[in-house]
Amino acid sequence: MERELADSITRSSARPVPGDARLHPPCEVACPIHTSAQRYIQLVAEGDYGRALAVVRETNPLPQSIGRICAHPCEDSCRRGGVDEPIAICNLKRVASDGAKASGLGDEPPAVEFNTGRKVAIIGSGPSGLAAAHDLALMGVQPVIFEKQPEAGGFLRTGILNYRLPKNILDEDIDYIRGMGVEIRTGTGVGEEIKFEELASEYDAVLIAVGLSESRSLPIPGVDLPEVLLAVPFLEDVNAGRDIPELGKEIIVIGGGNVAIDAARSAKRIGGGKVTMVCLEADHEMPAHDWEIADAREEGIEMLCSQGPNAIVGEGKVEGLQVKKCESVFDEHGRFAPTFCETELSVITGDTVIVSIGQMSNLSFVPEAGPEVDERGILFFDREQCTTSRRGVFASGEVVTGPGAAVNALASGKKAAIAAARFLGVEAHYGHEPVAIGEVPSDVREQIKQAPRRRMPVRATGQRITDFEEVETGLGEVDGRCEASRCLLCGSGARYSQLKCISCLTCVRVCPYGAPWADKDGLGGIDADKCQACGICFTQCPAKAIDLTVVSEDDIERRIHVALSAETGMVEFGCWYSQSRVAPEAGFIALPCTSRLSTRLLLHAFEAGAEKVYVAVCSEDDDGRFVHGHRQTRTAVAEAQKALKEIGMEPELIELGLVPEKKCMKSA
Amino acid sequence: MITAERKPFEQIKAVTDQFENILVVGCNTCVAVCLTGGEREAELLTAQLRLQREKDGISGTVNTVTVLRQCENEFVDAVAAQADGKDLILSTACSIGPQLIAERIPKVRVAPAMNTNMLAVVKKHHVWSEYCVACGDCVIFSTGGICPIARCAKQLLNGPCGGSQGGHCEISPEVPCVWQLIYDKLAAFGLEGNLSRIDGPKNWSKSNSGGPRTMKKEGFEP
Repeated sequence: MERELADSITRSSARPVPGDARLHPPCEVACPIHTSAQRYIQLVAEGDYGRALAVVRETNPLPQSIGRICAHPCEDSCRRGGVDEPIAICNLKRVASDGAKASGLGDEPPAVEFNTGRKVAIIGSGPSGLAAAHDLALMGVQPVIFEKQPEAGGFLRTGILNYRLPKNILDEDIDYIRGMGVEIRTGTGVGEEIKFEELASEYDAVLIAVGLSESRSLPIPGVDLPEVLLAVPFLEDVNAGRDIPELGKEIIVIGGGNVAIDAARSAKRIGGGKVTMVCLEADHEMPAHDWEIADAREEGIEMLCSQGPNAIVGEGKVEGLQVKKCESVFDEHGRFAPTFCETELSVITGDTVIVSIGQMSNLSFVPEAGPEVDERGILFFDREQCTTSRRGVFASGEVVTGPGAAVNALASGKKAAIAAARFLGVEAHYGHEPVAIGEVPSDVREQIKQAPRRRMPVRATGQRITDFEEVETGLGEVDGRCEASRCLLCGSGARYSQLKCISCLTCVRVCPYGAPWADKDGLGGIDADKCQACGICFTQCPAKAIDLTVVSEDDIERRIHVALSAETGMVEFGCWYSQSRVAPEAGFIALPCTSRLSTRLLLHAFEAGAEKVYVAVCSEDDDGRFVHGHRQTRTAVAEAQKALKEIGMEPELIELGLVPEKKCMKSA
Repeated sequence: MITAERKPFEQIKAVTDQFENILVVGCNTCVAVCLTGGEREAELLTAQLRLQREKDGISGTVNTVTVLRQCENEFVDAVAAQADGKDLILSTACSIGPQLIAERIPKVRVAPAMNTNMLAVVKKHHVWSEYCVACGDCVIFSTGGICPIARCAKQLLNGPCGGSQGGHCEISPEVPCVWQLIYDKLAAFGLEGNLSRIDGPKNWSKSNSGGPRTMKKEGFEP
C-alpha cells in the first residue's frame, strides 16, 4: 500500500521508535518498583516460569506475596485497557511464581557476601524493611532486622488475612531473604528488648521502617464499651490465631479502607453474622480498592456509605451505632474535611463495633537525641535522601509515606537501601525514572483483536466465608499463558536502524498498522506507539535495517538450536495465542505470531539440522492476532518452499498447519 | 533504479559447484530497493547454497557480506579482506557489481548471481516497469514526459505503428501503446498538433551503440 510521506526532516530524532532505550511499557513506568512486567509476562506466555520469576525478582523481593495482594497500578496504565481490558499483570506474577515453584525453580537465594564491612539495623520487618534488607544484602551491606512481633512480615503478616495472603506463602518469601544471609531478630522490640541507642552505636546506619502498627480510635461517646475493638489489634489476633472475644451477630465496621474491608471479611468468617461497613465516603469515594469492595460484597458484607459515626449507643454493652449523614468528605482542595448534617441521625443496631478509621506509627522508641518527631508524632523526613534529622538514621515505608499499597512500601524501602548504602560509601545508584510510550492511537486500537481477560478463579462464596483458606486459587497454566499472550509488547516491536535503512519504503508499504514512516528526505522511523510487534516489516526489509526487540532474529536462531537439541529432527514454529500444537512431537518454538518468521530463518532451521519444519498458521479468513499475520506466514513459507525446491530438496519439508485451537481467543 | 533478477538457481549452482570457498556479496542500493539483491536476499541465497552443498556433499564454506553500493571503489575495497581465502565471489548486484569486484579484487574469481534487466520505477509494491534505456539523448520533453525508446517495443520516434490496437501494443494486451499514451498526454495540453512535426533521425552514437561510454564532470579534476 502506498502511503503519504511525512513533512519534516527533523522528526527522526524526536520521534520515539520501538526498542528505544528511553521508552518503557507503561506498566513498568507505573509500577512503584518498575518491575519489567512485560518481560516476565512474555516468559509466562512461553511457559518459561523460572526465568519469569527471575525477572520479577530483579526488582521485587517478595514476588509470591506481592503477586497476590498488589494494588497493581500497572494494570491501570496498561495499554490493552484501551482495547478491551488490561492484562491481569498481578495475577501473572503469581502464575510465574506458582509455575516456577511447581518446577522446583527460583527458590535458591543468591549467595551474598557482606564484603563492605558495613552493617545496617532495620527496625521493622514489613515490606519496606524486608525490601531494604534484601537490596542492602545484594550491595554487600549486612542488614539485621529487629521485629517486635514473634514472626516477621509486619503488616503483611499481622494485617493481611490468610485468605488473601496465606502465611506459608509469606514465609517462603521471607525465608528466601533469610537465605541471603539477612538476619531477622523477631520478638525484639526496639525500645523494649533493645534500646535505639544500642542500635545507633552498634550499626553503621539505622533504618526506621516500623509502618503504621496502631489503629486510630474515635473520639465519640461509647467508644470505651467492651465490644468496641480496634481493627489492627483485632486483625493481629485473628492472624496470630489468638483467642478472639466472641463477636456478636451484628457487627459494625467503621471505615471504608482496605483494612476495614479485611476487618469486615474476617469478622464475617469468625462471627458468621451480619457485617455492615459504615463509612464517611460515598460509594464511589470509598478508599478501598474496587476489587476488594466487590469481594466483600460478594461475601455478603453490607456497605453503608456517606454516614459519619456519632456515638456508640448501649448501656454497658454495645447496642448500636448512631450515625449522622455525611454531606461531603473532601474540601475544594481535595483535603479531608468532612461536613455533616447534624440533624439527620439514625441508629444501626449492632452488638460489636470494629473501628478502622486509620492507623498511626508507634515511635515511642525514639530517644531524646533524635531523630526528631513532630508534635503530631510524625518523623521529620527528607523524601529524596530518605534521611531523618539524625545523621545515619534513615526511614522508609508507611511510617513516612503514610498508608498505601505494599508495593509502595517496597519502593520506599528499596530507595532507602540505596540512600543508606551511599551514606556508607558503598557504590549504589538511584534508577532513572522511566518514560512510557504513548497511547495506542485509535485507528490502531481498532485493528487489535479483542481477547477476553482471564478471570482469577475463586472458591465459592458459601464455602470461603467459613474459613480463612485462600480465596483465589490461581490462574493456572493454560489461562495464565493465554492471559500473558494478550500483552501488546508495548515498545518492544520493530527496532529500526537508520544507518542501515535505504529508504526503500518497503516497511511503510507493508505494515498493516501504519507504524513505519519516512519523510520526504527519505529519513524514517517506526512509531513505537503504533507498532504491534507483528514482525512483517522485519521479514521483508531488503536491507535488514529492522529487527525485533522481543524475540529477535538472534533469539529465534537460538531457539531453533534449543528446539533441535531434543534430537527429534523436527521443529514447530507456533504462536503464543493459540497455545496449541500442530506437531506435538516436534521441538517447539513459541513466537508471538509466526508472521515474524523470515524466509531465511525457515531455511536456517534446516541448516541447524532440522529434517522437518512445521509452521502453525491461522486460517485464511481469520487474521489471528495480527492483521495480515497469516498472510505473511504463508508468503514466507511459500518463498522458503520455493527455495528448497530450487536446491533439489522437497518443499514439503516445510509444512503449514492450521492451528488446531485458538485457546486464547475463546471467551473465558 | 537499476533492476536485476536472480538467475535460476541451477545456473548459479553450475558455477558455484566448481568452487570450495564462496563469498556471497549483496548490494544495498538498487537491487535492495527492487527486493532482489540486498542483504536479505544475499543471506537467503547463502542459506540456500549451504543447504544445497551439504546435500550434494560439496565441502567448503559459504559466507556473506553486503556492501552499500557495489559500484563504488571504496565500498568494494572495504570488503576485499573478507575475500581472502575465497575461491569465488558471487555478487547479487546488477552486473556493475561483479565487474567492479573483478577489477578491485583481482585474485578471486567473480560470478554474477543476477541478470540485470532495466532502469525502472516501482509501479506498485513488488512490480517494476522499465522507463529508460540510457540512450544518451533524452527526447521526452517532446513526448509528454513519456519515453518512446524505453516503452515502445520498436523504439519508434514519430508515432505508432499499425500494431497499436485500442490503446494497446500488439505484443500483449497488457502493454499500453506508448504512442497512445503520448498522444493522450499531449492532447491534454492541447499540443497534439506537435505530433505532425517529423523529428529527424536520433543520434544513437550517444547510446551504447556508439561504443563504451564514459562520463566526466567538466571543470573538476578526476
